[in-house]
Amino acid sequence: MSKPIITLKHVYKNYGDTNVLHDINMTLEAGKFYTLLGPSGSGKTTILRTIGGFVTPSSGDVLFDGQRINDLPANKRQVNTIFQDYALFPHMDVYDNVAFGLTIRKTPKEVIEKKVLRALKLVQLSGYEDRSISELSGGQQQRVAIARALVNEPQVLLLDEALSALDMKLRKEMQVELRDLQQRLGITFLFVTHDQEEALAMSDEIFVMDDGKILQSGTPVDIYDEPVNHFVANFIGESNIVPGKMLSDYRVEFVNKVFECADAGMKPDENVEVVLRPEDLDIVAPDAGKLVVTIDTQLFRGDYYEVIAYDDDHNEWLIHSTNPTKDDQRVGLFFEPEDIHVMRYGESEQAFDARLETYED
Amino acid sequence: MKRKQVLFEMPYFFWLAFFVIAPILLIAYQSFFNIRGQFTLGNYATYFTSATYLRMTLNSVWYAFLITLFTLLISYPTAYFLHYTKHKQLWLLLIILPTWINLLLKAYAFIGIFSQDGSVNQFLTFIGIGPQQILFTDASFLFVATYIQIPFMILPIFNAIEDLQPSYINASRDLGANNWQTFTRIIFPMTMSGVKAGVQAVFIPSLSLFMLTRLIGGNRVITLGTAIEEHFLVTMNWGMGSTIGVVLIIAMFIIMSLTGEHKKKGRKHND
Amino acid sequence: MTKKTKWFANGYLTLVFVLLYVPIFYLIMYSFSTGKTMSHYQGFTWAHYVALFQDARMIQIALDTLLLALLSALIATAIGSLGALGIYATKKRQTRNALLSLNNILMVSPDVIIGASFLIFFTFLGIGLGFGSVLMSHIAFEIPIVVLMVLPRLQEMSTTMIDAAEDLGASSWQVLSRVILPAIIPGILAGYFMAFTYSLDDFAVTFFVTGNGFETLSIEIYARARQGIDLEVNALSGILFVFALLLVVGYYLLTQYTAKRQKAGVKRP
Repeated sequence: MSKPIITLKHVYKNYGDTNVLHDINMTLEAGKFYTLLGPSGSGKTTILRTIGGFVTPSSGDVLFDGQRINDLPANKRQVNTIFQDYALFPHMDVYDNVAFGLTIRKTPKEVIEKKVLRALKLVQLSGYEDRSISELSGGQQQRVAIARALVNEPQVLLLDEALSALDMKLRKEMQVELRDLQQRLGITFLFVTHDQEEALAMSDEIFVMDDGKILQSGTPVDIYDEPVNHFVANFIGESNIVPGKMLSDYRVEFVNKVFECADAGMKPDENVEVVLRPEDLDIVAPDAGKLVVTIDTQLFRGDYYEVIAYDDDHNEWLIHSTNPTKDDQRVGLFFEPEDIHVMRYGESEQAFDARLETYED
Repeated sequence: MKRKQVLFEMPYFFWLAFFVIAPILLIAYQSFFNIRGQFTLGNYATYFTSATYLRMTLNSVWYAFLITLFTLLISYPTAYFLHYTKHKQLWLLLIILPTWINLLLKAYAFIGIFSQDGSVNQFLTFIGIGPQQILFTDASFLFVATYIQIPFMILPIFNAIEDLQPSYINASRDLGANNWQTFTRIIFPMTMSGVKAGVQAVFIPSLSLFMLTRLIGGNRVITLGTAIEEHFLVTMNWGMGSTIGVVLIIAMFIIMSLTGEHKKKGRKHND
Repeated sequence: MTKKTKWFANGYLTLVFVLLYVPIFYLIMYSFSTGKTMSHYQGFTWAHYVALFQDARMIQIALDTLLLALLSALIATAIGSLGALGIYATKKRQTRNALLSLNNILMVSPDVIIGASFLIFFTFLGIGLGFGSVLMSHIAFEIPIVVLMVLPRLQEMSTTMIDAAEDLGASSWQVLSRVILPAIIPGILAGYFMAFTYSLDDFAVTFFVTGNGFETLSIEIYARARQGIDLEVNALSGILFVFALLLVVGYYLLTQYTAKRQKAGVKRP
């Protein structure tokens, strides 16, 4: 594990009676790409602003490289922010915008010029120095904002919904570019988004937030495969979530049937929730399936068919199938024991991790 | 840093304290003193029992109402038609231009136009009616006051019409309303804010016009403003003048609360 | 609009414009008349303009008025702009609204009230009436319009822009001088301009707080108008009309310029 660059310890933020951040603990290591993922109002931007120096926590500590920086103003911190609306200065041209931070630090003119040109080259905007901000497209403005931040050589770059103002195609391009840029520069990125696809695609590690709390953190794969609770399972990817009962280790009952599964460490007969991802469900002949359902509707999504079916107990099942089906057809659904993910009610991330330790090697 | 900021803002807060709050308190304070400098409630007693003062107040409110009404009747269609002209910003500038001519010069112009052998009387003579006494009548006062206030009414109404999204009008048409229905049920209600701002901008100054009453009304019309000026600068009865001032301030707050919230766009009151 | 209503609209507008401009042109027309009254035009002359320019007293008053307007607007713009910054920086909504309401009191107060209350105020403090009291009064009634012209510019400014400047290392002074001020300069200029015209236009407040020693054009015109027609006043109105026209054109160009600058950005030298 490389050394932590940013650490938040028991950070709370209250505005009057409202609790915006609740006991936030997180550690960011140098050189990784992190994402804060959550719905709007979940507190992710507040965390970003706390690190950037625009919000002072009500209690708890913010550490930078081991030093407490709670009271250090934004203009003294070695982190830079890309704002959602880019916040480019409209009365300055591209060059002056990018040079702003350096001129503040009274850097010699030749050095500024060299660094600005290099930063603009980095974001593929060489030759745009004299353009005014209003002449630029959204994507170009985004790049100027990135160059303006990077030219100061920050150790951590904070990106606040940085891509949300761009259209779909450009956004996908910028995702690749940002990831690439982060790897080349080797600095830490903390990216805030409400778009789960974006988070899964770009991050080394994701923090899923809701209601001022971090619900789960981990690699995209961990979070996708083993969501800690209903909220995370629902927010990340699509899922079928049904109530069930854990009969004993590795045996779970749902929709009135008993299935073999890969989870353990719960009380006997404990009530649980069961997650089955739609792409893990295979449509097979009725007698080959573990469940029998009737197809209700299907939508063609380009790379797959989104199928909605009902079992005989009227539970709805969402299935992603590569092949088309027929409406009202009775089919079987097949899935492996590992495809079943069991979640306990109200289990915290720590308890979840501890339980996993007991039976995973 | 915080302390430095406060230092910069000091002159502004100084101004608020000494030129906004203090004068209002002083005028209220002064209203409790008679002409010999003794404390008294007599000014208010006089004001509310004297038929002269009450009639003057009613007259003043009535004239201000008429001026506001005439101004509105002329200004709304003007603002509405202006909205549909080409180069409307230029035309609007031409509406505003007269407000930059000193008010006294405009009043002075009407002394010439309405005089015994002025242009209006020449015209009346020409069509056989014969010269009339126009200057120093109530009608001339109303006419000149309306003339002066028109741009201040047009401006907020024009802005309100400009702010109106054309899609509302299209939607109204789409739903089957004809022009008149669209106007009465969509356009006029949605531009009420402009009308209110205009009414406020015209009514309050109209209560206090005093130089017009002197130059055009020939002292026949006495408004609250004229009475205040009279008490302060002629009879030197500051206590009574302040009492009328307090009445005017209260009237101002009533008008402001009636016309509700508004955004004011740079305009200066005139008397 | 149909053709018929268009005709009506144009006719109506023409009528309103005629009504608005006839008195003004009537005034100016007679400034070139050889007669002594504003009736029966009697042939062209520059005589009234010549008389005006030889009237040392009138010239002195005009210069005083101009000086008063320039100076009071300058001070009011400084105080008002700082005040707008203060109101903008006020975080609490209620305090901010209260400040704004106080700010607007002088905007909506009738001039007689302002004049009378200032007169009491100056007398109370023992300040003599004259240029000083008039200057202070003008500054006082110009401040709120400056605030109202500057504040929207501040509010339009994206708050993240200030965050961004701070994030890039700017101190609060640098944020103010390099980001905020350039963004609100159009508002400050417009504020100065409005303050200037307010001062030129004012009659009532000055009438109350000026003693015998100091006069502005408005006061002088009032005094002369009360005595009847004086075609020298007509000549003055001709000059003031041209002056107002120049101001309007200047203001128009200024707003066009700042709008364009905002749009196209400033080129680096």
